[in-house]
Amino acid sequence: MSKSSPRRPFGGRSNGTVTVIEARVHRSSARNARLAFVMTAVIVGLLAAVVAASYMHPILALFVGIGVGVPLGGIVWVLVRIWPVIRLLWWWTPEIGLAGLLLVGWVQLASHTPTLVTLLVVALVVGVPAGVPVIRRQIMAWGWCLVVRHRLRVCFAQFIIANQSGSLPLILWATPTPVGERVWVYLRPGLSVKDLEGRLDKIAVTCHASTVLIERASDGNAAYVRFDIKRREVLTANVGSPLVDVIDPATPTVEQAPPVVPTALDLPDVQAPTITLPKQQGTSGSKPAKPAATAAANGSKPAAASSSVPDDDVSDWI
Amino acid sequence: MATATASPSSAGVPVGPGLSMFDPIFIGIDEFGQPVYITLAYRNLLAGGEPGGGKSGLLNCIAAHAALSVDSRLVLLDGKLVELGQWEDSADAFIGPDITAALDVLRRLQVVMNNRYAWLRAHNRRKVTALDGLSVITVLVDEIAFYSATVGSKQEEFVALLRDLVARGRAAGIPVVAATQRPSFDIIPTSLRDLFGYRAAFRCTTPNSSNIVLGHGWAEQGYSATDIAPTNQGAAYLIAEGGIPRRIKVAYLSDSQIAGIADYAAWIRRPGTITTPPSSPADWGMAA
Ligand SMILES: Nc1ncnc2c1ncn2[C@@H]1O[C@H](COP(=O)(O)OP(=O)(O)OP(=O)(O)O)[C@@H](O)[C@H]1O
Ligand SMILES: [Mg+2]
Repeated sequence: MSKSSPRRPFGGRSNGTVTVIEARVHRSSARNARLAFVMTAVIVGLLAAVVAASYMHPILALFVGIGVGVPLGGIVWVLVRIWPVIRLLWWWTPEIGLAGLLLVGWVQLASHTPTLVTLLVVALVVGVPAGVPVIRRQIMAWGWCLVVRHRLRVCFAQFIIANQSGSLPLILWATPTPVGERVWVYLRPGLSVKDLEGRLDKIAVTCHASTVLIERASDGNAAYVRFDIKRREVLTANVGSPLVDVIDPATPTVEQAPPVVPTALDLPDVQAPTITLPKQQGTSGSKPAKPAATAAANGSKPAAASSSVPDDDVSDWI
Repeated sequence: MATATASPSSAGVPVGPGLSMFDPIFIGIDEFGQPVYITLAYRNLLAGGEPGGGKSGLLNCIAAHAALSVDSRLVLLDGKLVELGQWEDSADAFIGPDITAALDVLRRLQVVMNNRYAWLRAHNRRKVTALDGLSVITVLVDEIAFYSATVGSKQEEFVALLRDLVARGRAAGIPVVAATQRPSFDIIPTSLRDLFGYRAAFRCTTPNSSNIVLGHGWAEQGYSATDIAPTNQGAAYLIAEGGIPRRIKVAYLSDSQIAGIADYAAWIRRPGTITTPPSSPADWGMAA
């Protein structure tokens, strides 16, 4: 792997069909680490040598430079080699911190208090948030914030391949909202809001949510975006209007003329105007017009009446 | 119109609530529980969505604010007669399903608009402000499809007049709020629809319908009014000041609440109480 990488520096490919995975494999961590080692050692070493040269003989300074540069380069090499582990720790920092706190708290509690008191304190610490709905919901909301950051990273790692090196976006902080969570993300090269919009449904599934919306979080920087994850509908209750309280119920009402209440509120009360239309045109049609109109309530008769109208009437009509 | 019998005995005469059409209008809450306001004085709003979605609820909300505002006049066009009918006494014109009357009132509004622009021109100004003392004439059109599509030959003139109002009325303080179920091109021309700056999409049955109301492309970005539950009437996506659709729930006024507000508004608006501003020129008194 490391053998082939120097032959194709910067991923220069003759054919355009190399898949992303392959490219990612080529850029191995070992090669990156070596590069980082050389860069750090050379730059730091030279700088140290230059500075040291103003105090001692240049050749001695060169040795000082090597002495400073190589160990520093080594440190950087180690950092780059274990970078996947560091990244993992960084991703789980809040959880690790919380777990550590709980553990320390438990150990301290258990070693400094009698068993009964320990159990009592634990019961209180666990029971009160579990029993009080407001606190429970708040804790659940914050818990979802932790979960959703990991789920979003799963999205980016699994099906939103951003670029050849496979770098993941920076998933910044998350806050609970009444409908779910809001997560701020800093995109890396290779992604845009448009790319993500095509995958909203998959992101929603991965986050165990109902819908996901993406908005730009900054006017000046397209990389800075905001995910609105929605997992419950809150706008179901009726909303009142404050204008109701503005009015004075004791207001005298303005007198007005009583409104005209129309009659003919049912279908039989209204006679079909289209039936009388051909009758007026037809010279001999004045007689059957009346029974047709009055029989409209029965439904079946007007159809028969209109079909019995002679053909010449219809042609007149057209 | 109301025949006012303002009793001279001034026992318990209400004081005007002091609302203004230049104030933000409360129309509901958003998903964060925050109140949502829109300022309608310089804007036009188009509401769409399936029958029973809550469009008329939004119009009533706006009508209530307008009726209680001292510097406002209401022109109501309601193809269904009942949606805005309770505001008839507070309105300067209430038109039912009658396209001839609708055309008349729109022509009057056009003349008022032209006069206002001439007045602004004479004062070297570009738009009406709250300090001018001119009233904001809010035009509410419910079931716009009735006027623009279902009635015969006069629909073109209606559409032309309305388009002129929507296009030019803004700075003259004549905002238009229109509601219809699906404002597709066969109901109102696209050239008219696209002039409405604010949009409210209540529940739609297809993403395409949602796009027609909100504007092209929003459904693809995840803002589709299809994901509103049919039982959640009054929930909508609103595009207003922010430019991005927001999920809101419109404040709902029951019939009796509307009746109460309408009675009160009719009382404070009875002839002789709304003071015509001293600075207002007489030449556009035609609006009254
Ligand atoms: N904001 C709201 N909150 C709660 N319920 C509402 C709200 N708005 C509307 N509703 C309910 O929905 C019903 C229908 O609303 P509305 O008449 O406003 O619908 P619409 O969209 O105007 O329908 P149409 O297209 O038939 O005119 C109302 O009678 C009311 O019960
Ligand atoms: Mg309606």
